[in-house]
Amino acid sequence: MTAESGAMTTPVVAVDGVSVRTRDRTILDKISLDFSARSLTAVVGPSGCGKTTFIRTLNRMAELTPGLRIQGRVLYLGQDVYDPTVNPVVVRRRMGMVFQRPTVFPASVFENAAFGLRLVRASEEEIDAAVTEALQRAGLWDEVHSHLDGPALALSGGQQQRLCIARALAVRPKVLLLDEPTSALDPAATQRVEATLQHLKEEIVVILVTHNVGQAARVSDRVAFLHSGHLVEVGATADMLERPREKLTEQFITGRFE
Amino acid sequence: MGAVTGAPPLAAEDDLRRDRSGHLRGRTVLDRCIGWLLPLLFLVAIAPILDLVYWVASRALPTFTLSIITTNPSGAAGGLLSPIVGSLEILLLATLVAIALGFFGGLATAEYLDEETAGAIRVTANVMVGIPSIILGLFGFIVFVKYFGWGASLAAAGVTLGIFMTPYVYRATDLAYLSVPPHIREAAVGSGATPLQYLFRVATPIAFPSVLTGIFLAMAIGVGETAPILLATTPVAIPPLSLFQPASALPLYIWSGFENGLILPVAIHRAFQAAFLLLVIVVGLNVLVRIIAARSRRRLEGLFQ
Ligand SMILES: Nc1ncnc2c1ncn2[C@@H]1O[C@H](COP(=O)(O)OP(=O)(O)OP(=O)(O)O)[C@@H](O)[C@H]1O
Ligand SMILES: [Mg+2]
Repeated sequence: MTAESGAMTTPVVAVDGVSVRTRDRTILDKISLDFSARSLTAVVGPSGCGKTTFIRTLNRMAELTPGLRIQGRVLYLGQDVYDPTVNPVVVRRRMGMVFQRPTVFPASVFENAAFGLRLVRASEEEIDAAVTEALQRAGLWDEVHSHLDGPALALSGGQQQRLCIARALAVRPKVLLLDEPTSALDPAATQRVEATLQHLKEEIVVILVTHNVGQAARVSDRVAFLHSGHLVEVGATADMLERPREKLTEQFITGRFE
Repeated sequence: MGAVTGAPPLAAEDDLRRDRSGHLRGRTVLDRCIGWLLPLLFLVAIAPILDLVYWVASRALPTFTLSIITTNPSGAAGGLLSPIVGSLEILLLATLVAIALGFFGGLATAEYLDEETAGAIRVTANVMVGIPSIILGLFGFIVFVKYFGWGASLAAAGVTLGIFMTPYVYRATDLAYLSVPPHIREAAVGSGATPLQYLFRVATPIAFPSVLTGIFLAMAIGVGETAPILLATTPVAIPPLSLFQPASALPLYIWSGFENGLILPVAIHRAFQAAFLLLVIVVGLNVLVRIIAARSRRRLEGLFQ
């Protein structure tokens, strides 16, 4: 791996030899990758290469899919999230997740943003403050502050997706996982989400799955390229996109793929 | 523009009135008529129901007085208090039984049991709906009246009717929880919800209107049923004072009213009045179902796309 700035500090998330297999095939093959504080890593690769599976192994969502066998270690601030004494529910509360499609609940805007805090029985004052802050960080506050009690399902798709980001941020995670968060959005909404992400990477670890090289170029400081379950190459965004070392990476970046 | 006369004939593939093989394809008679044919068929379908309501109401209402619903029957005449109260008591008990068995059964198959077990229970529930209700009545008679020794009673009738209503509540519950969109579950679990938190905070608010609809529909079906309670209780003049006394019921009263009516005409009037009240209860429950469904549709709009 390249010598990156900040390689000396302990990573927030360290993936150590993670493999995911079904009964008859390998979906991810011994992936090792570190994520240090205040960074945005784009995970790119052709459809079916294992991007979704990869980020779902980080917060133990992958194990909810029957038939997947997960091996290796994922360290969160030095602790293995797969340690038998660790409750997966707590892991998921520490690493927020945003999905491809907006997934708001049929409740008010406020209650959607407050969902994670209600799960841990936070006080009303704490919830009020955290919801406001999360909506601001997600870049949604100006649009919704006057109708927080309105139904979240009445928001536009782009607003709903930023509400999902706010929901994940409200519990103040140190890690945010996003699985192609803009693939269902129009260009304007995509731009707003990207602006939000650029803001967030100054504060926390953001891991962004995207099939869109342009998006990786715009928002990430590091790109990891997956191909049929292998981590082919990882490096600083500018290096990766301009001088890829691997043939496969180059083919993917130049669009001779998919 | 548009001078059609003299224009060269169109090739079949360009002609909007022909299909690819050159056949004329205008709107057919059926296409034109379907707009008013379907409403007409609907009218034909509901006409007998409207006629039935009119037929019952026209015989029940002319001699209807308030005292009919405030006094107990005496002989073949008197009021309808005990069958009204009895019907409601039996229905209440039956609903509790149906919720206890059907709701928790549906929850179990939708959320917790493995596919094989769940499948077996679903098949059982479907078979139960098909069992002739008089056979269920016989079962209730043998088990509750005789074997448990409850005698002809509110308890025996309520529990038997509850078993009759169970598969309706079960199916509504199972379907309601199964139809919570998977991406909503992912989002809840991904936010760190425990299985119970998912159930109470996310799935139930979404599924509950459908469950409630199922319960009210089961009540509307159950309140008019005669066969399941026919052998489990007996028409009596006063409402029961305990679970183990017989409770009268509107369907039973109607049935015996027509028998007595052969001797005493006033009994026929009472039977029609009982029938009218039963219709009102059934229609009322169905209206409730509509209201719940409409309100939840508004609340959940956009969720199931
Ligand atoms: N539950 C499963 N059982 C069997 N195979 C699976 C399962 N889940 C995923 N796979 C396989 O694993 C591979 C990786 O899937 P994954 O969803 O991680 O890909 P992806 O990179 O996110 O693709 P996309 O860009 O299309 O979202 C695919 O080939 C898929 O068929
Ligand atoms: Mg994917």
